[in-house]
Amino acid sequence: MDNLIEIKNMKYQYHKDKKLFEKFSLQLDCKKTTVITGNNGSGKTTLSKLIMGILKPLEGDIILFGDNSKNMTLSEIGQGIGYVFQYPERQLFTTSVIDELTFAQLLKGEKKEAVMEKAEEMIELFALEKARNVYPFFLSYGEKKRLAIASALMSSPKYLILDEPTASLDKDKIINLSMILNKLEEKNVGKLIITHDKNFIKEHGERVIYLDGGRIVKDEAN
Amino acid sequence: MKQINIDPRTKLAIVALLSTLGLIYKNLLSLVIILSVAILIALALNSNFISVVSRLKKLLGLILIIAIIQSIFIKEGNSVISLGSLSLLTDIGIMKAAEFILRLMIIIVSSVILTTSTSREIIQALIQMGLPYEIAFMVSISIRFLPLFKDEMRDMVVALQLRGIDLKKIKLKEKLLTYKYLLLPITANSILRARELATAMEMKAFRAYPKRTSYRMLKMNKIDYLIITISLIGAWTFIIIF
Repeated sequence: MDNLIEIKNMKYQYHKDKKLFEKFSLQLDCKKTTVITGNNGSGKTTLSKLIMGILKPLEGDIILFGDNSKNMTLSEIGQGIGYVFQYPERQLFTTSVIDELTFAQLLKGEKKEAVMEKAEEMIELFALEKARNVYPFFLSYGEKKRLAIASALMSSPKYLILDEPTASLDKDKIINLSMILNKLEEKNVGKLIITHDKNFIKEHGERVIYLDGGRIVKDEAN
Repeated sequence: MKQINIDPRTKLAIVALLSTLGLIYKNLLSLVIILSVAILIALALNSNFISVVSRLKKLLGLILIIAIIQSIFIKEGNSVISLGSLSLLTDIGIMKAAEFILRLMIIIVSSVILTTSTSREIIQALIQMGLPYEIAFMVSISIRFLPLFKDEMRDMVVALQLRGIDLKKIKLKEKLLTYKYLLLPITANSILRARELATAMEMKAFRAYPKRTSYRMLKMNKIDYLIITISLIGAWTFIIIF
């Protein structure tokens, strides 16, 4: 139970005449990497937002590590699951990379030394040394994306959800991102990756789920 | 109710009349009558009056606080609530607060009348009334971007909470800090967006020619002239009576 995300008979739709998820059930093992793929509008990002509590299911339950998400606040969900948005601009808040990595932990009252140490570790891991004091808005898209992932990892989540992590990244940056994700596997942090990138699916998808119109059309072990 | 289709310029004239009367008059009865007329017009034009009012419920608290503060600082009249020799609330203070609320309601309901036209129609009306296109375009952009800012603000609040920050639980000092964290990217994003928009406008040759023509022109009908005449006569009659 503690390592599972369970979606039970979930219903969700944006409009009355456009049904998306109907009696949708899924179990995700939080120790593994699952990839969700499918065409645009198949419900991939919506599913991730439902798991994160950003959207609320109309029916059914989402159980996160044994707790029903209905009874959890966004901040409680965010403590357990790191979420990286498709567009990183909307999750960067401060005036420097180092501040971006530390502000949330410091606001939560964590010890400064420990937070700084972890931030330095992230800067090294995500190759952001040169951008340490740069205003995040002036970073390249790839750097912003890496910073967003690093920031999500600062609270040591049990699970990480990445929405289109390879979008707008060049080949080298994708290789770099793959290496980082592999390191997370060593740390036992499972992932849910939403992507269209076939090579990335092949490399990371221990389990690959194909969505179409809010339905699972294929669910296979890679 | 059958919808009456009138020109946006007619609506602008009605709104101008109602809000001017609302600002001129000070006695409560006049303000109640003006508000009632504004509500009737909003309903007659099939505006989404109920939904707008229900959305304004969030502002009700703020309006009441302003009204109370305003009435506290008015010392004229008989004291209603006092603390020893210090008069906290007077009858005239309460009247002034009610006046403020009614006046604000008149302006809000008047703006609801304008929502029965699209922002594009309103802009076209302003242009045909002689407003320079550049200024009308600026107005249209600000109207168009408001929902975008709202969405962006909502997304950023969500993103902040997903970092594990419970906005309800943190202390006031830290809460103020989080507002700084929210305002900074929104301002930066707005500037970046404005720059992109300016470039896109240049690319589309904005202001390349001194005179612009519009694909869609608004046309005043008989009903519009009739409504404007009735409104003017009504406003004049109201001024004579009250």
